[in-house]
Amino acid sequence: MVFSADAITAPCAAGGSNALFCKNMATSLVRKTKLLSMVSSQLNSAACFRNIHCTAACLKNRAARIRVAKGDKPVTYEQAYHPHHIGHRKGWLSQHTSNLQGEDGAAERVVEDVFIRRFMYGTFHGCLADEVVIKRRGNLLLICAVMIQKLLPSKFYFLIGYTEELLSHFYKCPVKIEMQTVEEKVVYKYL
Amino acid sequence: MASSCSQALRHHVCKSSRLLRVHLQKSWTNRSFEGAVCVSSSFALNSAADQQPAVSSPEEIVIPKKKTWSKEAVLQALASTVKRDPTASDYRFQDDPYLTPKTSSEFKLFSLSQESGRNAAKYFINTYPKYFQKDYAQPHIPCLMPDTLEAQIEEVSEAALIERIGMRKVKAAVDLYDQLLQAGTSVSLDVTNQLLDLICFYGDHDPAQENVPEQRNEETEDVQDEPQAKKGRAAKASDLLKATWKEKNNAERIFALLSEPNKHSYSALIRGMVKYGAYSKAFSTYTDLLNSRLKADMHMFNALITAAPEVKEKYNEKWELIVDLLKQMAEQKVRPNLLTLNAVLKALRRCGTVGKSQAFPVISEMKALSIDLSLASYTHLLAIFYKPGAPIQGQTDILQEVMNEVSGKSFTPQDPDDAQFFITAMRICLDTKDMEQAYRVHELLGVGENWRLLGNDFQQNIYYARFFSLLCMMENIDVMLKWYRDLVPSVYYPSSNVMRDLLQALDTDNRLDLIPQIWKDIKQLGHANRQNLVEELLTLMAREKHNQEVQESFAECALDIKKIYDTGDRGKVLLNWTAGSLSDLISVLLAAHRRQDAWDMLKLFKTHNRVPSEELLNKFLMCVKEGGEVNQAVELVQISAGFCLPGTPKLIQRVQQEFELTEQQRKMLSDLEIQSFNSE
Repeated sequence: MVFSADAITAPCAAGGSNALFCKNMATSLVRKTKLLSMVSSQLNSAACFRNIHCTAACLKNRAARIRVAKGDKPVTYEQAYHPHHIGHRKGWLSQHTSNLQGEDGAAERVVEDVFIRRFMYGTFHGCLADEVVIKRRGNLLLICAVMIQKLLPSKFYFLIGYTEELLSHFYKCPVKIEMQTVEEKVVYKYL
Repeated sequence: MASSCSQALRHHVCKSSRLLRVHLQKSWTNRSFEGAVCVSSSFALNSAADQQPAVSSPEEIVIPKKKTWSKEAVLQALASTVKRDPTASDYRFQDDPYLTPKTSSEFKLFSLSQESGRNAAKYFINTYPKYFQKDYAQPHIPCLMPDTLEAQIEEVSEAALIERIGMRKVKAAVDLYDQLLQAGTSVSLDVTNQLLDLICFYGDHDPAQENVPEQRNEETEDVQDEPQAKKGRAAKASDLLKATWKEKNNAERIFALLSEPNKHSYSALIRGMVKYGAYSKAFSTYTDLLNSRLKADMHMFNALITAAPEVKEKYNEKWELIVDLLKQMAEQKVRPNLLTLNAVLKALRRCGTVGKSQAFPVISEMKALSIDLSLASYTHLLAIFYKPGAPIQGQTDILQEVMNEVSGKSFTPQDPDDAQFFITAMRICLDTKDMEQAYRVHELLGVGENWRLLGNDFQQNIYYARFFSLLCMMENIDVMLKWYRDLVPSVYYPSSNVMRDLLQALDTDNRLDLIPQIWKDIKQLGHANRQNLVEELLTLMAREKHNQEVQESFAECALDIKKIYDTGDRGKVLLNWTAGSLSDLISVLLAAHRRQDAWDMLKLFKTHNRVPSEELLNKFLMCVKEGGEVNQAVELVQISAGFCLPGTPKLIQRVQQEFELTEQQRKMLSDLEIQSFNSE
């Protein structure tokens, strides 16, 4: 990427260097390697562009892990086990077929999932006992949630009707919610 | 045999050795199946060889026709393997104990709150449609797109009028029409007819918009001249039903403006008038139609037949008018349809004895015109012959005949009155105490699509209430309980009357030991605060003596009931003690030898100002004697004297005889004796 034609011609255009290596550039391999070193040194100089970091910092060692603390922090089963336990001690939170060979749309599914999780978190605020599980069966989008019995059942039903209708119209597919309630958050251990 | 076989085998092997080699070569790679393939191939060759002479002779090979399955065939086949789950609640609700409705009011509350959530979402979707325009679905799903509520075409033109008619905006359409006429553009007859249809269907006001919050309009309130009592309840759909045909409304005005109204316009006007109660006007419009020598159509005749019983008073006159209309229909060569038949039958319901004599001839004539009866026709037929509240005069055969006709068939909704069939039939079964027909009616509900014709939740409740009452009356307790466990509470939440019927059925069949279970169900259904029901329950428990474990369960139940009577945490009194209920409760506790609890309850007589009965105190004394508590016996006498009961002297005597008393107690008793003697 760095060694694209733009990077090579840009210093030329910047006017700092001579037109000499523009001519010699195509001729020999030695010239090319010289060219590479020259370009990189030019890029590192202050007169050139700044380096940009194109990807987000992926702290793979710290994602989805709750660190062991004093021993008074309650943690659910889902939170207690780390991502390398997925498939061994944990299941998947999002189930769809886009990751199979020859299937596409994985990125769109991820974006939909993120939106749905935020939507559920906000709509049923303070009621979610655990992560929302999203399953896709054919056209149907099934949102499985475990809730704390914080609201009256009639209020739950109001929010269920609202969520189903709004998300159906948003994603143009039938959306159903399967809800289970528990008295309190189910604690697996204290970290 | 073996040699000939082997010879034949060799013969065939030689003949088709190439085939065999091919087989063997193929099987060489598959070592494990090698032997099997060889053997099978040899057998195949053998059998092929045997059949060879048969194939050579000409034989018809019939290739069956390819079956085409519908797209849902697999799903339907899977669905047919699953029956209704009697432990689950309605499909609308979530499968969770906290979220399952346990009483009928909860059922209604939850389903309505879910619906109102949907309406809230629809409001947002229609208010901000630009966020919902992106179409992911292939093929396009129109119902998931936001509704266009605002009319697009702004200019004053016929196309704009058509658009507003399509969007069912009555007032806007009428205004636009007036604007068009004022501007001088003529509107075509078709479009005017459509406008007339719209106005007459909605009775000249806009249909209730469900998503938009109710706005108090002066016009809608004028229309409601019904009594105020009904205003408290749902004021949305009932607005439309109670609306009457106003004197000078837009429909008539626009109709008058038409230079050449055709039969469609007349039809729309007449049907609107009949729908909204202007019956005599409808007939006068009809005479106008005849005078202008236009032909009427079927819908018009249906409407007029519906209106006929309203305009005449006597049964004969009503019938003559209907016959007249039918004759005119025949003259004008208009073919009647199912709705005509249903309208005639419905009118005959109001014709008393004439109805009974004329119903069957009408049906046979219609059948000759190859009109099939729908459930609504059967409903009207049953209603003609079985008037509610009238004594039954041996007419059970009609219900049976109707059930014979109808059993096993699946009906589609063709008439709005189809939904009345099941509750009418069940009412008749209840009145005639006919269990067999009731089972047939219930069976019909399970055929095909008939479950859709049971009606809304309210009608479903009525149907099941009648069915249950009949079961309680007629069937023995085991059958009754089987149905009870099947239907309650997944399909039906019984009312307190039905629970009383159930208790009486238990009583009749001597299964009072089931009372504690029924009490649990009563509590769950939310009927624990019904005075009558609880008192009846206590009476039934206290009446007879049962064996020990039953009495124990009764005592537990009684203590549970006592908790209901106690004041709730907010000081709200749910139930009031009566003398009878208190005595019953104490007797039940005594029968289970719960003396301490019974003693506590006795105190309640004083606090709630109720008077205990003599036999209760006698019973108590017997129990106390078993326990040997002398103090309690004396206190009992004091309580009795406190209430100035007439049985006090006898009680005193009994205590003096049966108990060993101390001096003090003896003195007290003799004082009381003198007191009671003096008071008499």
